[in-house]
Amino acid sequence: MTAAAMTERPAAYAPPANYKLSATGLLRSEWTKLWTLRSTWIVLLCAVVFSAGLGALVSGTVPADLEIGGAENAVGFAMSGVALSSVFVAVLGILTITGEYSTGSIRSTMSAAPKRLGVLWSKAVVFGAVVAVLFTVMVFATFFISQALLDGTELGGVSLGDEGVTRALFGYVAMIVYLTLLAVAIGAILRNSAGSIGFYIGVIMILPQLATLLPWGWVEDVTPYAPGNVSNTITYVDPAGQALGVGESWLWMGIWLVVAYGLAGVLLKRRDV
Amino acid sequence: MNGRSGRRTVVIMIEIEHLTKRYGKKTAVDDLTFNVKPGVVTGFLGPNGAGKSTTMRAIVGLDAPTSGLARVNGKHYSEFQSPLSEVGALLEAKSVHAGRSAHNHLLALARTHGIPKRRVQEVIDLVGLHEVAGKRVGGFSLGMGQRLGIAVALLGDPAVLILDEPVNGLDPDGVKWIRVLLKGLAAEGRTVFLSSHLMSELAQTAEHLVVIGQGRLLADTTVDDFVSGNGKSRVRVVSPDAARLAEHLAGPGISIASPEKGVLEVSGTEAAVVGQTAAAHGLVLHELRTDRGSLEDAFMQLTADAVEYRQTTEGATR
Ligand SMILES: Nc1ncnc2c1ncn2[C@@H]1O[C@H](COP(=O)(O)OP(=O)(O)O)[C@@H](O)[C@H]1O
Ligand SMILES: [Mg+2]
Repeated sequence: MTAAAMTERPAAYAPPANYKLSATGLLRSEWTKLWTLRSTWIVLLCAVVFSAGLGALVSGTVPADLEIGGAENAVGFAMSGVALSSVFVAVLGILTITGEYSTGSIRSTMSAAPKRLGVLWSKAVVFGAVVAVLFTVMVFATFFISQALLDGTELGGVSLGDEGVTRALFGYVAMIVYLTLLAVAIGAILRNSAGSIGFYIGVIMILPQLATLLPWGWVEDVTPYAPGNVSNTITYVDPAGQALGVGESWLWMGIWLVVAYGLAGVLLKRRDV
Repeated sequence: MNGRSGRRTVVIMIEIEHLTKRYGKKTAVDDLTFNVKPGVVTGFLGPNGAGKSTTMRAIVGLDAPTSGLARVNGKHYSEFQSPLSEVGALLEAKSVHAGRSAHNHLLALARTHGIPKRRVQEVIDLVGLHEVAGKRVGGFSLGMGQRLGIAVALLGDPAVLILDEPVNGLDPDGVKWIRVLLKGLAAEGRTVFLSSHLMSELAQTAEHLVVIGQGRLLADTTVDDFVSGNGKSRVRVVSPDAARLAEHLAGPGISIASPEKGVLEVSGTEAAVVGQTAAAHGLVLHELRTDRGSLEDAFMQLTADAVEYRQTTEGATR
């Protein structure tokens, strides 16, 4: 103790004892932060309109005499917008962190939670949960809309009870949550909006696709394990024949999240705010 | 721990021990050691770039020291169960998301500690932001931003307040208001530590001063001692025997000027000595007064070397 007896002073002030930093508090705080920004509403609205709209557009313009059929394609047609709208939520996920750095609010945040890591976990949990709920609704709604529009074509008549369909739809939800969480971690690592969004779109989304154009055989063996690709398998109605099995797909999503959050956590602890 | 009522024990609330912080090659804070006590307002003074903000960020754990440590109430800031109730900080740089309203910014911070909405409203009223609390912070003036920062600092009703240049951007009424507020908070036994690069801002608020320049400690003293120690205080004497008095006063370290006949301005000694010398030789005095240099003078004198050093080195590296 560093107490030193001194001359007369006012009696020491005792702060209120009922305010305590807690994990629940951090979650509630992140929830509040998320919904008190206009950009959250705008971006999520875009994601909803995009996923349902594009799914409906694609499904509604299928010519009646198209000779493609089956549950796999029906789900693929319906989800074309969902996959693209994952970019919206990934960007929003990035901004939940980089926005704090660019505006300086990170200093308030980290002064309130000086151990820092709780902030990262809370951001990931809150945003991941919001995306999970929103996209569960969107994925199933889009599926039903699309099936209604596809009625009478070869792609119609697919139901949730069909083998693998429900699993594939939840697979889309899981993929989007996974990509969102990955984006949040990238934001935490790079701390810069433009850099993080560029990295996410360039390195996570586009690079693995470009790499398949390369002439070397080993590239083809590796790309399925790229962070942006490992979640593909679980979105198939029939995942047989994919480079990764369903179990491997889950495993690799876990591995990449651990790597990303491990790095983000270490850097968050080590760097100055 | 905190000495409760009755016991006249005072804890050192902020403890800076051999604190050094480097950013790459730039040394922002250089082996700084000082303590801040509760119950009084302590001013943290130094020219721009002296390392005040860096020291304050280190206290709340935002910047990790290169070496040495900064402790609050005997602990590292991150060890506290309720950081916002231990230390309330207003940092120099903007610390608010421009797209959020003042109320929601405070609310988000309050939630981390389970601080009720009532308290959020309380601090909004206290800093006089009720009319704009629902507006986006991006449109705030500098002064409104400072008031919000003060509201944030007060949110957890903390034992220690750390305010980095809080007066910046406040109008004269605001300056007066903050002065009264801070003195009141200190009188409740809290620790109030506020920085400024202007002596005049601290002169009427602070009782104690920590002065730094170039990241190094220049003075750690009461405001009164600071002035008498560093200001060019002079003794002004009016005497019909001025010439003879001057002869008797003359000595090493003492300089005597006579701006007009019968008037002496003596520096390097004290009024008491002048009076005694006059009495010892039976000389008549009509007036004997100590002219204190201004706080600003004292500060300028103390930091002159540091500033000069900086200018020459900066010039050399260009
Ligand atoms: N994050 C940083 N990176 C690099 N240099 C910094 C950083 N923060 C402060 N400095 C430098 O450290 C010195 C002290 O800065 P600061 O603590 O802001 O001084 P003050 O608040 O007294 O004006 C300055 O020369 C400043 O340029
Ligand atoms: Mg500063």
